[in-house]
Amino acid sequence: MDSQAIIDIVLRFVAITVVFTIVLLIVAYTVLAERRVLGLIQGRLGPNRVGYGGMLQPFADLLKFILKEDIVPDKSTRFIYFLAPVIATMCALMTMIVYPFGPDLNLPANIPYIGSTIPLVVAHFDVGLLYVLGVTSVGVYGIALAGWSSNNKYSLMGGLRSSAQMISYELALGLSLIGPILLAGSLDLTKIVETQSRWHGSAWLILFTPISFIVYLIAAIAETNRVPFDLPEAETELVAGFHTEYSAMKFALFFLAEYINMFTVSMLATTIFLGGWNVPFAEDIFGRNSMLFALVSAIGFLLKIIFFLFLYIWIRGTLPRFRFDQLMNFGWKFLLPLALFSIFLTATLIFFNVL
Amino acid sequence: MLVLLFILFGGLAIGCAVNVVAQRNPLYCAISLIGVFVSLASLYLMLAAPFIAAVQIIVYAGAIMVLVVFVIMLLNVEQDERRQIRVGFLVPAAVVLAGLLIGEVAFFLWSVSPNPTLPPSDIGLTSSIGTNLFTTYLLPFEITSILLLMAIVGAMTLAHRTGVLTPNARVIPGAQVLAASEIDPSSSHEFPTTLATGSTTEAARILEISSPRTPDRE
Repeated sequence: MDSQAIIDIVLRFVAITVVFTIVLLIVAYTVLAERRVLGLIQGRLGPNRVGYGGMLQPFADLLKFILKEDIVPDKSTRFIYFLAPVIATMCALMTMIVYPFGPDLNLPANIPYIGSTIPLVVAHFDVGLLYVLGVTSVGVYGIALAGWSSNNKYSLMGGLRSSAQMISYELALGLSLIGPILLAGSLDLTKIVETQSRWHGSAWLILFTPISFIVYLIAAIAETNRVPFDLPEAETELVAGFHTEYSAMKFALFFLAEYINMFTVSMLATTIFLGGWNVPFAEDIFGRNSMLFALVSAIGFLLKIIFFLFLYIWIRGTLPRFRFDQLMNFGWKFLLPLALFSIFLTATLIFFNVL
Repeated sequence: MLVLLFILFGGLAIGCAVNVVAQRNPLYCAISLIGVFVSLASLYLMLAAPFIAAVQIIVYAGAIMVLVVFVIMLLNVEQDERRQIRVGFLVPAAVVLAGLLIGEVAFFLWSVSPNPTLPPSDIGLTSSIGTNLFTTYLLPFEITSILLLMAIVGAMTLAHRTGVLTPNARVIPGAQVLAASEIDPSSSHEFPTTLATGSTTEAARILEISSPRTPDRE
């Protein structure tokens, strides 16, 4: 291997580290934001003691999780019990690398070994969207195996519920993405974002496939096991669901995985439906090749994600939980036909050259 | 580099496959099978077929194996007890089949000359798969779809088969525990009876219920 190849690999690892660090920091503050916003909705304060306005609360929590005693149930299946949180967190983090979070960054000078343009995506992948769906579908095992290996009735019920729920809503989720794929004509996330650059960067696919967007939004909440679809961890029925027997850092990993998943589904919604990094008229103002354009686009991407995160927190503070039969009926009898109808509509409109 | 990765994933696939057979705990077998699928997907990826790799993960590792794990968890299958394996004719058969396999591989290795200047093919790419599937191979594709639809309808029919039982009666294969009044409300039997029969009709006959009513016809 020549030095260029080695440096490429090193740079790739640096890029992954940077992206993971940024994402984990945002996730840490999402937890804080959730507690503060929920406090606001419920007419109380939320954590505001550690640091200015509670800004250091995530790190205090982390410290607490690390210092807690790690309790392993006596009759648990040891190996799978350890494996489950690892699978959950790993699958949540792995999708992060394929999302383009900005246009190509044009550097003012040619830097040796790096070149003059940096694509603002860690890994460019031809079937990026399928990769995301694949990794997400493997993430089910984290929860299912956690429920089984704890050797606890409530955990098992939580694990069973989550696997049934996730494979039901994965269908609607996948089908809701087909409309945008038809319009973009590619499974490549970079290309999907670029097709939305028309109309001065405001040809967002939500304008063409609004039904798909709504289906995606609902199915995505169910995929992340959040209120109103948080049946796997319904505290009123199942103690804490699949993570009843987990403590200390292993519990924190599940907690982390949930919030990273929330972040990734927001990222996918932004990339597919809300134009990705496209900020309307930014290209006209700053020029295609300026560094400022890349910066503004990346910030726009982040703001759109934060909007979705806020939406999820808002929904959590507003809606009550589904019953399990309601959940299944809703998924199979309403969401799935709606997604199919949306595909049919989009395909027909494309066939008659309307879209 | 590519060879190293091939050895890694190929070895992983074989190791996991052996583990599927060797493990006694059904859930460990299932997890090993997921490992096999993931390794195979990595191999597809190295053969420049990203679409097939992704579908392999989504369909096999993400959907089918979830159902398998789901069933194992639901039935809570206990660890299979190590029992005396009856070998008999299996050992010579295995030897013969293994010899056939090795011979086949050897034949390919010797007779087919590797062609390093093969032009890059687009077999595994999304667009070529889609084009072929919906033009050249449309009929087989549709027939497969109808076959799968039939399987779904069949599964639904089997799952919804109520027979002579009321919805709240329990059916246990091999033995049926149900109140006679549940089969026939006009019968004089009042207490739950355990019957070691395989079918409800036979249970009704033993309970001396002349004409079991069918909820379907109500």
